[in-house]
Amino acid sequence: MIKVDASLCLGCRSCSNVCPSQNIVLTETAKQRSIHWKRCKEECDLCVEFCPAKALTLVPFDESVPEPDISFDLVACKICGSRYATEPMLRRIESALPADSQKDSEGLEWIRVCPICRRSIEAKRATQQMVLGRSRKSP
Amino acid sequence: MPVYIDVARCIGCRSCEVACQRVHGGSEHINVHFVGDFASVPIFCHHCEEASCTIACFSGALYKEGDRTAFDVEKCTGCGLCSLACPFGVVWTNKIAHKCDLCEGRAEPTCVTTCPANALSTDYELASRRARARAVRDAAQGGRR
Repeated sequence: MIKVDASLCLGCRSCSNVCPSQNIVLTETAKQRSIHWKRCKEECDLCVEFCPAKALTLVPFDESVPEPDISFDLVACKICGSRYATEPMLRRIESALPADSQKDSEGLEWIRVCPICRRSIEAKRATQQMVLGRSRKSP
Repeated sequence: MPVYIDVARCIGCRSCEVACQRVHGGSEHINVHFVGDFASVPIFCHHCEEASCTIACFSGALYKEGDRTAFDVEKCTGCGLCSLACPFGVVWTNKIAHKCDLCEGRAEPTCVTTCPANALSTDYELASRRARARAVRDAAQGGRR
Protein backbone atom coordinates (compact mmCIF):
# COMPACT_ATOMS: atom_id res chain seq x y z
CA MET A 1 0.00 0.00 0.00
CA ILE A 2 1.15 3.52 -0.73
CA LYS A 3 1.67 6.15 1.94
CA VAL A 4 1.83 9.76 0.80
CA ASP A 5 3.60 12.61 2.53
CA ALA A 6 1.26 15.44 1.56
CA SER A 7 3.82 18.07 2.55
CA LEU A 8 6.27 16.72 -0.03
CA CYS A 9 3.92 15.86 -2.91
CA LEU A 10 4.34 18.20 -5.90
CA GLY A 11 1.11 17.28 -7.60
CA CYS A 12 2.95 16.19 -10.74
CA ARG A 13 1.92 13.42 -13.09
CA SER A 14 4.72 11.00 -12.36
CA CYS A 15 3.12 8.35 -10.14
CA SER A 16 -0.21 8.29 -11.95
CA ASN A 17 1.66 7.86 -15.23
CA VAL A 18 4.00 5.06 -14.17
CA CYS A 19 1.49 2.96 -12.20
CA PRO A 20 0.93 -0.19 -14.29
CA SER A 21 -2.36 -1.07 -12.56
CA GLN A 22 -4.10 2.32 -12.67
CA ASN A 23 -4.20 2.46 -8.89
CA ILE A 24 -3.26 6.12 -8.89
CA VAL A 25 -5.87 8.33 -10.47
CA LEU A 26 -5.26 11.92 -11.51
CA THR A 27 -8.24 14.08 -12.36
CA GLU A 28 -8.08 17.65 -13.49
CA THR A 29 -10.66 20.38 -13.87
CA ALA A 30 -9.98 23.89 -15.15
CA LYS A 31 -9.00 25.04 -11.67
CA GLN A 32 -7.91 22.01 -9.74
CA ARG A 33 -5.84 18.85 -9.98
CA SER A 34 -6.64 15.93 -7.69
CA ILE A 35 -4.65 12.77 -7.14
CA HIS A 36 -6.18 9.71 -5.56
CA TRP A 37 -4.12 6.73 -4.41
CA LYS A 38 -6.18 3.55 -4.20
CA ARG A 39 -5.42 0.96 -1.56
CA CYS A 40 -3.16 -1.35 -3.49
CA LYS A 41 -1.85 -4.83 -2.80
CA GLU A 42 0.68 -4.99 -5.61
CA GLU A 43 4.28 -5.79 -4.85
CA CYS A 44 5.46 -2.99 -7.06
CA ASP A 45 7.32 0.17 -6.18
CA LEU A 46 7.45 2.01 -9.50
CA CYS A 47 5.58 5.02 -8.09
CA VAL A 48 7.94 5.18 -5.11
CA GLU A 49 10.99 4.92 -7.34
CA PHE A 50 9.79 7.55 -9.81
CA CYS A 51 8.45 10.16 -7.39
CA PRO A 52 10.54 13.31 -7.98
CA ALA A 53 9.83 14.52 -4.43
CA LYS A 54 10.30 11.18 -2.63
CA ALA A 55 6.84 11.69 -1.17
CA LEU A 56 5.74 8.07 -1.46
CA THR A 57 6.58 5.02 0.65
CA LEU A 58 5.23 1.48 0.70
CA VAL A 59 3.53 0.36 3.89
CA PRO A 60 1.84 -2.95 4.77
CA PHE A 61 -1.75 -3.31 3.53
CA ASP A 62 -4.32 -2.02 6.01
CA GLU A 63 -8.03 -1.94 5.24
CA SER A 64 -8.73 0.67 7.94
CA VAL A 65 -6.43 3.36 6.55
CA PRO A 66 -8.33 5.81 4.31
CA GLU A 67 -7.18 6.15 0.73
CA PRO A 68 -4.99 9.24 0.35
CA ASP A 69 -6.38 12.03 -1.77
CA ILE A 70 -4.72 15.39 -2.42
CA SER A 71 -6.11 18.35 -4.33
CA PHE A 72 -4.07 21.23 -5.70
CA ASP A 73 -5.42 24.58 -6.85
CA LEU A 74 -3.81 25.27 -10.21
CA VAL A 75 -1.79 28.49 -10.43
CA ALA A 76 -2.98 31.14 -12.91
CA CYS A 77 -0.62 32.53 -15.54
CA LYS A 78 0.45 36.11 -14.70
CA ILE A 79 -0.34 37.19 -18.24
CA CYS A 80 -3.34 35.30 -19.62
CA GLY A 81 -4.80 33.95 -16.40
CA SER A 82 -5.10 30.36 -17.61
CA ARG A 83 -4.30 27.80 -14.94
CA TYR A 84 -1.27 25.76 -15.87
CA ALA A 85 0.63 24.30 -12.90
CA THR A 86 0.55 23.36 -9.25
CA GLU A 87 2.23 25.69 -6.75
CA PRO A 88 4.68 23.04 -5.41
CA MET A 89 5.86 22.25 -8.96
CA LEU A 90 6.60 25.93 -9.64
CA ARG A 91 8.38 26.24 -6.26
CA ARG A 92 10.47 23.21 -7.15
CA ILE A 93 11.52 24.83 -10.47
CA GLU A 94 12.32 28.07 -8.61
CA SER A 95 14.57 26.25 -6.17
CA ALA A 96 16.29 24.20 -8.88
CA LEU A 97 17.20 26.94 -11.36
CA PRO A 98 19.95 29.52 -10.77
CA ALA A 99 18.42 32.75 -9.37
CA ASP A 100 19.81 34.95 -12.15
CA SER A 101 18.05 32.91 -14.81
CA GLN A 102 14.62 33.28 -13.25
CA LYS A 103 14.04 36.80 -14.54
CA ASP A 104 14.31 37.59 -18.24
CA SER A 105 15.99 40.66 -19.70
CA GLU A 106 12.91 42.74 -18.89
CA GLY A 107 12.65 41.55 -15.30
CA LEU A 108 9.72 39.25 -15.93
CA GLU A 109 9.45 36.24 -13.59
CA TRP A 110 8.81 33.84 -16.46
CA ILE A 111 8.28 30.77 -14.27
CA ARG A 112 4.94 32.33 -13.27
CA VAL A 113 3.92 32.65 -16.92
CA CYS A 114 2.31 29.77 -18.82
CA PRO A 115 4.19 28.03 -21.67
CA ILE A 116 1.89 29.50 -24.36
CA CYS A 117 2.55 33.06 -23.17
CA ARG A 118 6.28 32.25 -22.94
CA ARG A 119 6.24 31.38 -26.65
CA SER A 120 4.30 34.56 -27.50
CA ILE A 121 6.84 36.67 -25.61
CA GLU A 122 9.69 35.01 -27.49
CA ALA A 123 7.90 35.66 -30.81
CA LYS A 124 7.39 39.33 -29.95
CA ARG A 125 11.01 39.70 -28.99
CA ALA A 126 12.25 38.11 -32.21
CA THR A 127 9.96 40.41 -34.20
CA GLN A 128 11.23 43.50 -32.37
CA GLN A 129 14.80 42.49 -33.17
CA MET A 130 13.95 42.08 -36.85
CA VAL A 131 12.18 45.46 -37.02
CA LEU A 132 15.11 47.06 -35.21
CA GLY A 133 17.56 45.50 -37.66
CA ARG A 134 15.58 46.95 -40.56
CA SER A 135 15.37 50.45 -39.17
CA ARG A 136 19.12 50.42 -38.41
CA LYS A 137 19.81 49.88 -42.10
CA SER A 138 17.70 52.84 -43.17
CA PRO A 139 19.81 55.93 -43.75
CA MET B 1 23.75 22.20 -34.70
CA PRO B 2 20.49 23.77 -33.56
CA VAL B 3 18.07 25.30 -36.05
CA TYR B 4 18.30 29.05 -36.64
CA ILE B 5 15.52 31.29 -37.87
CA ASP B 6 15.55 34.29 -40.19
CA VAL B 7 12.33 35.96 -39.02
CA ALA B 8 12.32 38.34 -42.00
CA ARG B 9 11.85 35.37 -44.31
CA CYS B 10 9.07 33.50 -42.48
CA ILE B 11 5.80 33.67 -44.43
CA GLY B 12 3.68 32.11 -41.68
CA CYS B 13 2.56 29.12 -43.76
CA ARG B 14 3.01 26.67 -40.87
CA SER B 15 4.59 24.08 -43.17
CA CYS B 16 7.23 23.50 -40.49
CA GLU B 17 4.52 22.51 -38.00
CA VAL B 18 3.05 20.01 -40.41
CA ALA B 19 6.45 18.62 -41.35
CA CYS B 20 7.38 18.22 -37.68
CA GLN B 21 4.09 16.44 -36.95
CA ARG B 22 4.60 14.14 -39.91
CA VAL B 23 7.91 12.79 -38.68
CA HIS B 24 7.05 12.77 -34.95
CA GLY B 25 3.91 10.69 -34.94
CA GLY B 26 1.46 13.57 -34.89
CA SER B 27 2.96 15.73 -32.16
CA GLU B 28 4.69 18.91 -33.23
CA HIS B 29 7.68 20.48 -31.53
CA ILE B 30 7.59 23.75 -33.45
CA ASN B 31 4.87 26.35 -33.14
CA VAL B 32 4.35 29.36 -35.43
CA HIS B 33 3.30 32.46 -33.51
CA PHE B 34 1.86 35.51 -35.22
CA VAL B 35 2.84 38.94 -33.92
CA GLY B 36 0.03 41.24 -35.02
CA ASP B 37 0.36 41.86 -38.74
CA PHE B 38 4.11 42.34 -38.48
CA ALA B 39 5.55 38.89 -38.49
CA SER B 40 5.22 35.20 -37.93
CA VAL B 41 7.82 33.44 -35.86
CA PRO B 42 8.32 29.69 -35.53
CA ILE B 43 9.17 28.96 -31.90
CA PHE B 44 11.12 25.82 -31.05
CA CYS B 45 13.86 24.43 -28.81
CA HIS B 46 17.08 26.48 -28.68
CA HIS B 47 19.01 23.51 -27.34
CA CYS B 48 20.28 25.85 -24.59
CA GLU B 49 23.81 25.40 -23.34
CA GLU B 50 22.67 25.31 -19.72
CA ALA B 51 19.25 23.88 -20.38
CA SER B 52 16.70 24.46 -17.60
CA CYS B 53 14.73 21.41 -18.71
CA THR B 54 17.73 19.14 -18.03
CA ILE B 55 18.18 20.74 -14.60
CA ALA B 56 14.50 20.21 -13.74
CA CYS B 57 14.38 16.63 -15.05
CA PHE B 58 14.85 14.32 -12.06
CA SER B 59 14.95 11.03 -13.97
CA GLY B 60 17.74 11.90 -16.40
CA ALA B 61 15.43 11.64 -19.42
CA LEU B 62 16.56 15.06 -20.64
CA TYR B 63 20.30 15.52 -20.94
CA LYS B 64 22.93 17.38 -22.90
CA GLU B 65 24.63 15.47 -25.69
CA GLY B 66 27.09 17.81 -27.35
CA ASP B 67 25.16 20.77 -28.78
CA ARG B 68 21.89 18.91 -28.55
CA THR B 69 19.45 18.72 -25.66
CA ALA B 70 18.58 15.06 -26.01
CA PHE B 71 15.67 13.07 -24.70
CA ASP B 72 15.50 9.44 -23.58
CA VAL B 73 11.88 8.33 -23.79
CA GLU B 74 12.57 5.21 -21.68
CA LYS B 75 13.44 7.31 -18.63
CA CYS B 76 10.58 9.83 -18.88
CA THR B 77 7.77 9.54 -16.34
CA GLY B 78 5.73 12.40 -17.83
CA CYS B 79 5.82 14.40 -14.58
CA GLY B 80 5.72 17.71 -16.47
CA LEU B 81 8.50 19.53 -14.60
CA CYS B 82 10.50 20.12 -17.81
CA SER B 83 7.56 21.85 -19.49
CA LEU B 84 7.39 24.30 -16.59
CA ALA B 85 11.16 24.81 -16.52
CA CYS B 86 11.55 25.76 -20.18
CA PRO B 87 11.76 29.59 -20.47
CA PHE B 88 10.52 29.44 -24.06
CA GLY B 89 7.60 27.05 -23.54
CA VAL B 90 8.89 24.53 -26.07
CA VAL B 91 8.86 21.32 -24.06
CA TRP B 92 5.43 19.72 -24.10
CA THR B 93 4.13 16.94 -21.86
CA ASN B 94 1.41 14.67 -23.06
CA LYS B 95 1.76 11.44 -21.06
CA ILE B 96 5.46 11.75 -21.83
CA ALA B 97 7.57 14.80 -22.60
CA HIS B 98 8.25 15.71 -26.19
CA LYS B 99 10.49 18.34 -27.69
CA CYS B 100 12.64 19.07 -30.74
CA ASP B 101 15.19 16.29 -31.26
CA LEU B 102 16.68 17.96 -34.34
CA CYS B 103 15.24 15.02 -36.29
CA GLU B 104 17.71 12.50 -34.99
CA GLY B 105 18.76 10.06 -37.69
CA ARG B 106 18.02 12.44 -40.55
CA ALA B 107 20.59 14.42 -42.49
CA GLU B 108 18.72 17.68 -41.79
CA PRO B 109 15.79 18.57 -39.50
CA THR B 110 12.56 18.18 -41.49
CA CYS B 111 11.37 21.73 -40.70
CA VAL B 112 14.54 23.07 -42.36
CA THR B 113 14.21 20.97 -45.51
CA THR B 114 10.47 21.75 -45.73
CA CYS B 115 10.42 25.53 -45.18
CA PRO B 116 9.45 26.96 -48.60
CA ALA B 117 10.78 30.40 -47.66
CA ASN B 118 14.20 29.18 -46.51
CA ALA B 119 13.62 30.90 -43.18
CA LEU B 120 15.04 27.98 -41.20
CA SER B 121 18.58 26.72 -41.41
CA THR B 122 21.20 24.88 -39.42
CA ASP B 123 23.84 27.38 -40.49
CA TYR B 124 24.43 29.97 -37.76
CA GLU B 125 26.25 32.29 -40.15
CA LEU B 126 23.59 32.23 -42.85
CA ALA B 127 21.24 34.79 -41.31
CA SER B 128 24.01 37.30 -40.69
CA ARG B 129 25.49 36.74 -44.18
CA ARG B 130 22.05 37.48 -45.63
CA ALA B 131 21.68 40.60 -43.49
CA ARG B 132 25.08 41.85 -44.68
CA ALA B 133 24.15 41.13 -48.31
CA ARG B 134 20.89 43.01 -47.90
CA ALA B 135 22.74 45.97 -46.39
CA VAL B 136 25.20 46.02 -49.31
CA ARG B 137 22.36 45.89 -51.84
CA ASP B 138 20.53 48.69 -50.09
CA ALA B 139 23.65 50.84 -49.98
CA ALA B 140 24.31 50.23 -53.71
CA GLN B 141 20.79 51.37 -54.49
CA GLY B 142 21.27 54.56 -52.54
CA GLY B 143 19.80 53.51 -49.24
CA ARG B 144 16.62 51.85 -48.24
CA ARG B 145 13.37 53.72 -48.57
